[in-house]
Amino acid sequence: MKTKLLILTSTLLASCAPAYAADTPITGNVQTRCLITTDTNGVFGNPLPSKLSTASADGGVVPVIRYDVTLADAYLAKVTTPTAFSTSPALSDSVTWTGSTAVSKTSDAAMSGYEAAKIVYGSTTQFDLTKAGSTWFSSESTAVYGVSKSFVGGSYTAIVLAECIAK
Amino acid sequence: MEVATLLSYWLNVLLNKLKALVSLVLITLSTPVYSHEMTPTYPVFVQSFMAGISVTTMNLFNKRADVAYYEIGVFDSKWEPISFVSQYTVIPMKYLDTVAFDVYVSNLSLARVEYICSVSQVQDGATVASKICSRVK
Repeated sequence: MKTKLLILTSTLLASCAPAYAADTPITGNVQTRCLITTDTNGVFGNPLPSKLSTASADGGVVPVIRYDVTLADAYLAKVTTPTAFSTSPALSDSVTWTGSTAVSKTSDAAMSGYEAAKIVYGSTTQFDLTKAGSTWFSSESTAVYGVSKSFVGGSYTAIVLAECIAK
Repeated sequence: MEVATLLSYWLNVLLNKLKALVSLVLITLSTPVYSHEMTPTYPVFVQSFMAGISVTTMNLFNKRADVAYYEIGVFDSKWEPISFVSQYTVIPMKYLDTVAFDVYVSNLSLARVEYICSVSQVQDGATVASKICSRVK
């Protein structure tokens, strides 16, 4: 009886399916990249009949653009504030534009020097993205119509150009 | 005692439903985030199947719901445009589309090629145009 039991147990053990421990690899490839994200679309406020402004003090919303870069010292960020309306009612007088772009937030404390090192030419502000990570830029713009003339009623749109140029 | 337990149970259920509703409203009201991406950052040209023509492949990702077209451009170090051929000069892209496109350049102008850029073509309502330039080293 014992012999039969021993043979049965051995047979059962021998016929067990083997369990293999296998490593399941997860592979990925992080490429050098620059991602431009519009975090907030801008809105013009109309504090005076002759003025449109994205400043929050003027009832506007400042557009916020985020740059994500995965490689340090590989990109330049250029933000150009508008110098014309992309859509507007017919205007008979000239519009004077002013604008400025500033760093509003960074993902790394080491990026704190970006604001001081920025280069401004014309309506463009250039930042050297010397660190990997995310940087938020807010870009204010103001349009003044004629000499204290009232803007014509209608819808106005202006475009901020955000560029990421590989160095 | 049983009434108090039952009341507490229903209050908890109500509170959880309220939390879910508030979360849903906050998610719905949150500002949409739109982004534009082009890779590789440093493309390399190789000989194409045609003699005298080099090619490189670029990838474009459109996470901008407000943009349906991207324009491609090839430039030298002074931002002068260089002639090139691609499937499209203006690429139609749906939201969350990834498109791979080839850029063909004559070997005669290859040494001058410095940047390959994509620019979003903004439509009504968009207030930010994005432009990404890769550099040929």
